[in-house]
Amino acid sequence: MAENFEQHSDISAADLARLSQEAQAEATPSTAKIIWSEFKADRPAMAALFIIVGFIVFVMVGALFINTPKMMETNIMAYFNQPFTPEFWLGADSGGRSVAKQLIVGSRNSIGIAIGLTIISSTFGICWGLISGYFNGYIDWGMQRVYDFMMMLPMTMMIIVLVTIIPHYNSVTLTFIFSIFYWEGTSRLIRSRTLAEAEKDYVAASRTSGTSHWKIIFREIMPNISSLIIVDCTLSFAENIGVETGLSYLGFGLPSQTPSLGTMISNANDPNNITQYWWTWLPAALEIIILCLAISYVGQVLRRAADASQRQGAAD
Amino acid sequence: MSLIEIKDLKVHYPIRTGFWNRITDSVRAVDGITFNIEAGETYGLVGESGSGKSTTGKSVVGLEKVTSGSILYKGQDITKAENRRKLDYNRDVQMIFQDSLSSLNPRKRIEDIIAEPLRNFEKLSKDDEKLRVLQLLDIVGLDADALYKYPHQFSGGQRQRIGVARAVATNPKLIIADEPVSALDLSVQAQVLNFMKKIQREFGISYLFISHDLGVVRHMCNNIAIMNRGRLVEIGTRDDIYNHPLHIYTKRLLAAIPETNVNQREAHRASRLAVEKVYQEQQSKYYDDDGEAYPLVQISKTHAVALPEALAQQLATQEGEVQA
Ligand SMILES: Nc1ncnc2c1ncn2[C@@H]1O[C@H](COP(=O)(O)OP(=O)(O)OP(=O)(O)O)[C@@H](O)[C@H]1O
Ligand SMILES: [Mg+2]
Repeated sequence: MAENFEQHSDISAADLARLSQEAQAEATPSTAKIIWSEFKADRPAMAALFIIVGFIVFVMVGALFINTPKMMETNIMAYFNQPFTPEFWLGADSGGRSVAKQLIVGSRNSIGIAIGLTIISSTFGICWGLISGYFNGYIDWGMQRVYDFMMMLPMTMMIIVLVTIIPHYNSVTLTFIFSIFYWEGTSRLIRSRTLAEAEKDYVAASRTSGTSHWKIIFREIMPNISSLIIVDCTLSFAENIGVETGLSYLGFGLPSQTPSLGTMISNANDPNNITQYWWTWLPAALEIIILCLAISYVGQVLRRAADASQRQGAAD
Repeated sequence: MSLIEIKDLKVHYPIRTGFWNRITDSVRAVDGITFNIEAGETYGLVGESGSGKSTTGKSVVGLEKVTSGSILYKGQDITKAENRRKLDYNRDVQMIFQDSLSSLNPRKRIEDIIAEPLRNFEKLSKDDEKLRVLQLLDIVGLDADALYKYPHQFSGGQRQRIGVARAVATNPKLIIADEPVSALDLSVQAQVLNFMKKIQREFGISYLFISHDLGVVRHMCNNIAIMNRGRLVEIGTRDDIYNHPLHIYTKRLLAAIPETNVNQREAHRASRLAVEKVYQEQQSKYYDDDGEAYPLVQISKTHAVALPEALAQQLATQEGEVQA
């Protein structure tokens, strides 16, 4: 059979190296290169990227040098210490505990939960949506009924109930509890795009080329909805920082002995703190706002890089 | 023995409604068609939009869940997935799709697109595989620098060539060509059709050539089936269909071929209007009470038409007199 092709084409093994080199020179740049040139073309996004990465690395490493139980000990002498002093850069709260240190450990906890939650819930939601959308029919029907059931449950109330009945929980258990309830939005979004994508002829062509269903789902269809996935993940990440923060603020997230952005913002529950002791809650609030803005900036750039038509960076 | 034998093929799409997803009705996209494709020939399947041509083609490559009927290849019914697996069926039967853009994965490089069937059906070494892809590109008339590009960097005609290269990659026996040129402009159409013919000669491939345009089919096909609302209304050789059409639907399709000779435009227009008039007035004669086509009756060894026996004979003799 190979002879058959040899016979009708002038190209032989001798030309292989030369021709693939020529083709290499004409090749389209890789995705990573495209994303990088896209960042270089957009200064604010580049700044946002540095802020996010720098900040996450800083709190992750910084928290390692802080002895949390010792930090959380009450120190009457430092009761509401003013900020910008050598010992308390950002002041102290009602227990005389350093706000700056709490901010570092709290950010680590909150961001850690948000990252874990985003990874677990998005992975699950994406797989659920892809499978449900690709195998439409009974599989899709069954999976959608499960989805409907999950959507029916009052999410916040269920989380509060679970958190109350589970005796000892920490960041990891909390992440898993949240994950149960946060994959649905992603899965619906991914499913609707997969339904449209699975109709396209390239999927049919892959099937007639003998490619298996799983390979088609994850290697053919998934790359084609990658822009949607990236945008959804960045938005979920920004949203998930808010999830933990919100519940901790209400008192149902992490226990108050474990600092988090939410427990720090809940200092603002006290009217005295809002006006007089602003340093107890304002840094955490500002941090959340800046982080979410920066994340959405980066998300936009990633989406542009994924959609060939919207690129601003070097043309391919 | 024919290469492919299609027997009483039916594809009905269920229409589901309500919470329990019950089947309440169905779209009869293909409703009992029978024909054979011989090795090395080009078989034309012609009909207007929505008549079920693509559905037939997709059933033959095994993409469609068939409601009833059978498709025999090497004596096995390939409407069953396990038989297709056993035969490595798609190594021998491939498809060129109607829409070249949507049939190429926009995220994959041309090398990976063309190599996909090779990777699944033939375990070639990396170098052999790349060599085969380069040869295929050469055969369809594309340069080697296409290798690492993406589909959107090509024109429609070039993309359809890539689609052909992928279909030919495993040296199949039959290729379903679903309106391979209908999205291309006329000069490019001719190019693509010509090299499809060239490939056919060189590799001994059969085509099931699907089209809505009898003008294009004329240059490609030895045998032609005319499809109307999921059924075949006329089967015959090129001569039977173009020179002795019997069914009014075939005559309408023929009348719809644009006339290029300016001097005969008026005459052409008049004959088209005449056919249209007969179609409007005599529909009940050509279709049964439900508006469906009749079963096929054999007129000659090669020619069959979907009409009641008596009418078919009468039309055939009339046609004969006109010719005489
Ligand atoms: N997945 C589907 N579900 C329901 N109905 C379908 C489906 N696919 C096709 N149909 C219907 O089956 C009929 C035949 O469709 P098909 O695509 O085979 O037509 P076609 O002859 O290829 O037309 P065209 O020339 O426009 O490509 C149409 O009426 C169409 O609406
Ligand atoms: Mg079609």
